[in-house]
Amino acid sequence: MRSDPRLRLPIMFVAALLLQTTVLARIRVFGVMPDFMLLVAVAGGITAGATRGATLGFASGMLIDLFLPTPLGLSALVFTLVGYGVGVANTGVLRSAWYIPVLTAGAASVTGVVLYALVGSMLGERMIDGHLVTIAVVVGLSNAVLAPVAVKFVDWSLGSLKTGAPINS
Amino acid sequence: MAVYRRSRRHRFFLVLLALTSVTVLTLDYRGGGDGALESVRGTARDAFAPLQSAAEWAFSPIAGFFGSIGDFGDLRSENARLRRQLDEARAEAIRGADADRERQGLLQLQGLDYAGGLDSVPARVVSNAPTNFQLTVTIDRGTDARIDVGMPVVTSAGLVGRVTEASKVRSTVLLITDPQSNVGVRLANSGEPGVVRGGGTRNPLAVDLITTEVPVTIGEPVVTSGLERGLFPAQIPVGRVLSTSAPPGALQKEIQVDPSVDLVRLEFVRVLLWTPNP
Repeated sequence: MRSDPRLRLPIMFVAALLLQTTVLARIRVFGVMPDFMLLVAVAGGITAGATRGATLGFASGMLIDLFLPTPLGLSALVFTLVGYGVGVANTGVLRSAWYIPVLTAGAASVTGVVLYALVGSMLGERMIDGHLVTIAVVVGLSNAVLAPVAVKFVDWSLGSLKTGAPINS
Repeated sequence: MAVYRRSRRHRFFLVLLALTSVTVLTLDYRGGGDGALESVRGTARDAFAPLQSAAEWAFSPIAGFFGSIGDFGDLRSENARLRRQLDEARAEAIRGADADRERQGLLQLQGLDYAGGLDSVPARVVSNAPTNFQLTVTIDRGTDARIDVGMPVVTSAGLVGRVTEASKVRSTVLLITDPQSNVGVRLANSGEPGVVRGGGTRNPLAVDLITTEVPVTIGEPVVTSGLERGLFPAQIPVGRVLSTSAPPGALQKEIQVDPSVDLVRLEFVRVLLWTPNP
């Protein structure tokens, strides 16, 4: 796609936010929806390493926080940590087997959901109960399924901003 | 050495972002409902609303399809059940009309607000909030339509929840099925007051504070109590008693209530222009 590379990142964030708040918010399995904004953080870590993973996580978390009833900054904190963690564990795996990003996304998403519930509980939100297991499992599985798309999308959005050689261009 | 420097830079960046998040978190947490951050949030939601509506419109067939995948089996039996209920409701309406007149007179005497006499604003449910942890919905009206935080939200069937956030053209409604929701209620037959607590999506509500001596019958209506300092006006239907038990040694009955509104498939609601008295 021929577009101004500087516009790609905002386009990606707006599209992801729209997807999350409209389509995905309605597609629910056992009352649980995929967490695409968390997946952006994970994909950032996978394609561009720890620092950019953390940055993307911070941005996507702040964005979704604007639309959540929980305190502002909660998702931002959690997504930052998840993006960073994935980056540290996984820099460069885009070149390896296709299932590595999928498994990474699944595991990282489960971690993200549990971390979110833990931090939320510390702030007095009631988040830890039996339903948390369902949420973690469904988000983990659905995010794993969406992972290849998300990785491509985030990789495209980072374009020339990425350190090292871009893989898909 | 180079590797060491790079990882230190990474860690510095991580700490910076994490600290920023924590700072914002603290500010928002302390600022409560009317801080500067809350207005940033409201502005962002309003600015994004038209885009969301467009996307919603474009994708609604797809979302509707996915949303109803699990429901096909239920529809036939639900249809039969609804027909039966309609018949019952018609009969009840006739019996109820007279009682209603009498009750309104009594409520007026006691100075209680009755939901039927309140101004209300109709609104469409735009989406579920994009979260897995709170049971909330977003509606397409906000402070521009005189909606404010704390107002009760109902359908013709009964209580839906309470407005927890309101920007100019969007509001967030906390559903009564959310585990953080508490509603002061009264059992219709005994008049005994209690508190209804949410049990999660598709789960029945639980009633607290009903002592074991109080007789409770299955199918008994549960309505909002409207007691002093209550969060809701009196006499909004909440649901019907689904099951009741008194475990040995317990101080209160375990009562489950089936909400009278189908909170999983909400489309149109009414916001009552009523705020709790402080």
